[in-house]
Amino acid sequence: MRKTLLKTDNLSKSFSSGGTLQHVLKNIDLELYEGDFTVIMGASGAGKSTLLYALSGMDTPSLGTITFGDQVISDMSQDELAVFRRRHCGFVFQQIYLMDGMSVMDNVLAAGLLVNKDKSGLLSRAKELFAMVDISEETQRKFPAQVSGGEAQRAGIVRALINRPELLFADEPTGALNSKTGLNVLDTLTAFHAQGQSVVMVTHDMRSARRGNRILYLKDGVILGECDLGKYVHGDSKRHDRLASFLAEMGW
Amino acid sequence: MRKSILLARSNLRRAKGQAAAIAVLIFLAAFMLNLWLMLSIDYKQNFERCHDRLHAEHVTFAADQDSGDMHDFLTETFEEDKRTKESFMDSCMHMVSIFDYNGGEINSEFVFLEKEAALSRPIGRAEIVEEGNYTSGIYMPVLYKSDEIEIGNTIDISIGGGRVSYTVCGFFNSAMAGSHNCSMCELILTEDKYKELMDLGYAPQAVLCSVRLKDKAESEDYEAMLKNAVSLRYPDVRTVSNSYALVSVSRYVSQTICSGVVSAMAFFILLIALVVIASNIINYIQENMKDLGALKAVGYTGHQLMSSLVFQFLGLSLIFCTAGALASYILFPALNAMMVAQTGIPYRIRFLPIPFALTLAILDGAVFLTVWLSSRRIKRIEPIIALRQGLKTHNFKRNHVPLERTRMPLHFALALKTTLSGIKNNVIVCITMLVLSLVVVFSGLMLENMIADMAPFIHLIVGETADSCVNVRVEEEEDFLKKMEEDARVEKIYLYNSVEVRHVGGIGLMAAVCDDFSKVNNQDGVIDGRFPRYDNEIAVAAKYAGERNLEIGDEIRITADGKEAAYIISGFTQTTNNLGKDCLLTREGYERLGSFANVSYYMNLSEETDIEEFHSEIKESFKNAVNAVINIDEVITGASSVYVSLMKMIVAAVLILSVVIIAFVLYLLVRTTLNNKKKDYGILKALGFTTGQLVLQTALSFMPAVIFSAAVGMTICSFIINPLTAVFLRNMGIVKCTFTVPVLFNILAGAGLVLAAFLIACLLSVKIRRITPKELVAGE
Repeated sequence: MRKTLLKTDNLSKSFSSGGTLQHVLKNIDLELYEGDFTVIMGASGAGKSTLLYALSGMDTPSLGTITFGDQVISDMSQDELAVFRRRHCGFVFQQIYLMDGMSVMDNVLAAGLLVNKDKSGLLSRAKELFAMVDISEETQRKFPAQVSGGEAQRAGIVRALINRPELLFADEPTGALNSKTGLNVLDTLTAFHAQGQSVVMVTHDMRSARRGNRILYLKDGVILGECDLGKYVHGDSKRHDRLASFLAEMGW
Repeated sequence: MRKSILLARSNLRRAKGQAAAIAVLIFLAAFMLNLWLMLSIDYKQNFERCHDRLHAEHVTFAADQDSGDMHDFLTETFEEDKRTKESFMDSCMHMVSIFDYNGGEINSEFVFLEKEAALSRPIGRAEIVEEGNYTSGIYMPVLYKSDEIEIGNTIDISIGGGRVSYTVCGFFNSAMAGSHNCSMCELILTEDKYKELMDLGYAPQAVLCSVRLKDKAESEDYEAMLKNAVSLRYPDVRTVSNSYALVSVSRYVSQTICSGVVSAMAFFILLIALVVIASNIINYIQENMKDLGALKAVGYTGHQLMSSLVFQFLGLSLIFCTAGALASYILFPALNAMMVAQTGIPYRIRFLPIPFALTLAILDGAVFLTVWLSSRRIKRIEPIIALRQGLKTHNFKRNHVPLERTRMPLHFALALKTTLSGIKNNVIVCITMLVLSLVVVFSGLMLENMIADMAPFIHLIVGETADSCVNVRVEEEEDFLKKMEEDARVEKIYLYNSVEVRHVGGIGLMAAVCDDFSKVNNQDGVIDGRFPRYDNEIAVAAKYAGERNLEIGDEIRITADGKEAAYIISGFTQTTNNLGKDCLLTREGYERLGSFANVSYYMNLSEETDIEEFHSEIKESFKNAVNAVINIDEVITGASSVYVSLMKMIVAAVLILSVVIIAFVLYLLVRTTLNNKKKDYGILKALGFTTGQLVLQTALSFMPAVIFSAAVGMTICSFIINPLTAVFLRNMGIVKCTFTVPVLFNILAGAGLVLAAFLIACLLSVKIRRITPKELVAGE
């Protein structure tokens, strides 16, 4: 029996645009499980990012509930959501979003010190993570504008993982990177998943989606289908075929 | 031009809040500037207008002898002096009189005139400003109009040794004799009351002369000449006089103080407004680099883009400068009412085009220059670089607060990072706080030395104070002294007489003569050197000495009563009593020139003494030997209450303005910070920072500059405030201020400023609540 980390009931999200109500997410019932690398796919405008941000407590649903363990996060205030995010979630953004005025290390520690007051323990964790993503000490001291896009995104992953989140949310993490650096970032995420990290990733890229073990396909605000790809094995061509056929079935 | 105006309108629409805050600063600056210009340009000219309208004299002189011989002598003296243009003489009564005013007493030399005579004098006539239907009573100078002295009320006046009660029939205006701030003041009685007073014999008959001069600059010299001439011919006749030079300044002391404070505030606010505008433009260029690049790419010239900023700010400036200048007319009546209580000369408020035009020109000119100079960078923007954000500059050379190593709590460390990344903001905060520190330290100085305890101010303005002053005839002096020395209530007694002397080759000086200067209460009266000890020593006013290049140790010749003697300068004095034209002599020193007919003794009385009762006993005991008794405390309270009220208003206004200015400057800075760091706040919120934590960080980021500049500002200002105040009061004869600087108040006020800044910054930063992490995604 897999442990449910997060559950949605009847999750809906609507926006008012030009006086017209647009239903972006429609009555979504979903469970996210511990240890999964869940990939949310769909065409542009399908509601992928909206779903991701609702699940992560960055946005509040219009209707329905989101439950994390025994906490109903959909009822939380903004400040309660902030506390929820810092304790349970990590984020990797498409645009990376490191803070320009802080060094790479400070970007990580700013997130870490918010939760963990044990600075030496935190520093060890940060250094361990930096080593895992192959970011040198020299790079750690640099400012975001002084490092490459790949290094910045890997630093973003370190920041997301510094507080050992139960769920790592990644929104098109390779979207702003070239293919080589993007691959590198995907390898990093896959490696962390292999160590037990639960990941939820939004992407419209098949190559990225292949890294997940569970693929959700979103269309017009509804989860149209789900595919279990099983454990990721590098170079497994059948996996690619399975995903391709699922996506074809979904009308991709 | 049209394109620039369109751009300006678009910029204004996008930054309404910022524009509003700058508009408020411009409004306040224009408000104060126009008020200052009205006070300094027109208000003082009101005296000239009043002087001209009443065809007033340049020298007023009263002598207690209304004889034909005196009339002939004076007529001859006026005619012989080529400086005389026209003169007039008539009869009056003259005596020191006392009445209650503003919770204290007015004790001064008064001349009593009959109503018709006073109103019809060809030179120096009085004019009725307000009157009721009463036909018998007294008309008071408009200066004394107050709750207790109103038309229909009864006023009790002690005149010489008697006491009379009059119904107040109305108020009048007199240019040269309408205030106790001058040596002599006029009171007008209806015909019946004038005759009644004459019959009572409380005040001697006197001759009142009014002399207009060909050159009013000669008024002081002429007055001294006249007094000398009369005292030579009639040594026993008491005289009293006013000169144009003295009256024109002393009736406008409150105007001088008020316009000084208002001008300082006006320029401080203007400075802050200009710094804020400059910073705003620099930030605008930084934030809108892409847009500016795009506009240049489609063909806008640098000149057009700069012009749009000029139109934007100049438009704001023109509108709010006009509004501010006009709004100053709302406060002017209240200020005028307060100042008329000191000047005693009614002022008709009307629109003044020159101050208005000058306000617009100064402010708009300054805004134009600031905008033009700070927007010159636009000219250097190359479209392609701007479009690539190529000009975005960050100094990444050093991480000043590495979180890895700092021992500071996280929020303090992040706040400090923000502080160090916003040098321009810190400079604005520092300038604002330094200016406000000066303002607050000045307020503290006035609170401590004028409102809480009047003594330092009184010592500076009045000179010598004691509990009681008794003026006795010199032939009774020995007996009087003997009795006072035996009286246990008298703790200290010393002679302190004022006489006029003349510096040979210089001007007339008011000499304070004392038998022992070590006894005087105001030991700060001599600011350099020492009090005179021997009969050949003199201490002269520092201001006068400076003007004449006199040094301590120099010998000067003094004349009085037709005699002349040499004195060595032992020190420099300062009081505003005679606008820095005074000196100190020992009794022996003065007696080388002349002798006294009457002497004034100052006394310090024991704490429990009832001064009024003490005075009654003296009058009873010495009868006619006593010319006058003065309760100095009461006199000071009466005379100084108007200054205290004025200063209270100034201090309150200054403190309120300080908080308003901090609020507006911080509003602009917080807004800039929120704009610049919107993305960072979004990221931090996504990472789990709460609104409260970010508000705290933002407010804290201003605190290093606030605390540093408040501490430095308060410390520096505490040291320079006395010299600055002395500069400010120099026209009144003050060259050195030794006011007590209230250290505790300054510390508390500094802490208050810091706390106010922190709370305001917190309050303004609450807008962070509206920034959501979701905007990060939506914004891209």
